[in-house]
Amino acid sequence: MSIKIRTQRFAEYTEIKLLLSHPMENGRNRDPNGQLIPAHFIRELTLELNDKTVVNANLGGSMSKDPFFTFRLKSTVTGDRLRIRWLDNHDLSDQAEHVIE
Amino acid sequence: MLRRVFLKTLSRYLSAVLGSLAFPKHALSKWPEQDFAAGDFSDKFREIFADLPISDSQEIIINLPEIAENGAVVPITISSALPNIKRLYIWAEKNPTPLVAEFEFDESMMLFLTARIKMAESCPVIVIAQQGDQLLRNQKWVTVMQGGCGTG
Repeated sequence: MSIKIRTQRFAEYTEIKLLLSHPMENGRNRDPNGQLIPAHFIRELTLELNDKTVVNANLGGSMSKDPFFTFRLKSTVTGDRLRIRWLDNHDLSDQAEHVIE
Repeated sequence: MLRRVFLKTLSRYLSAVLGSLAFPKHALSKWPEQDFAAGDFSDKFREIFADLPISDSQEIIINLPEIAENGAVVPITISSALPNIKRLYIWAEKNPTPLVAEFEFDESMMLFLTARIKMAESCPVIVIAQQGDQLLRNQKWVTVMQGGCGTG
């Protein structure tokens, strides 16, 4: 599991692209032996800009595997710090930081 | 005199009721297990929005494929130039868990989002945006060739 963050500054906004590697199992798929794969998905995703929460999301098992998101910040300056965190239904979590150029 | 007392009581009662209806019931802080439970769309929808008025708005712009070959990965883009939208809800009407996601945006964010969602079968995808204390709705039909929510 990992978090990839990419940002690009445009005149009107800064675009944030996030790729979270996660199975996002909803508990309704079966493995090759026909056994149900237990639900395992990210429940909470947070984006912080310079330690202030700017996006807070609650997700369910209807989000696709390896969630990919784009968000847009109205304005940023060089050196702004972005932190991404997630928490899943097994209480596993991950976080990553990125400095905007 | 009695009439005045009655009106006072009535108005107090009404403002309490209206006050409690002004916003969907929870703040986006802790994952709301009940909202994301499996169930029928209209029941789940009512649990969150009760009987709050919701207006249809073409100014909530949804981009989705008309036909999704693979229901496991359906790309969605939501945007709006309307000011003051703090919250978005994404619903897939026929999914076993119809509430897909809820997002809360700070004012430093533009109202723009892309994501990838699962769809079990052809149905409308419904987006609810909370603008101040108003709820706005737009929706788009997606024809799904192969369901993406597993067989259960």
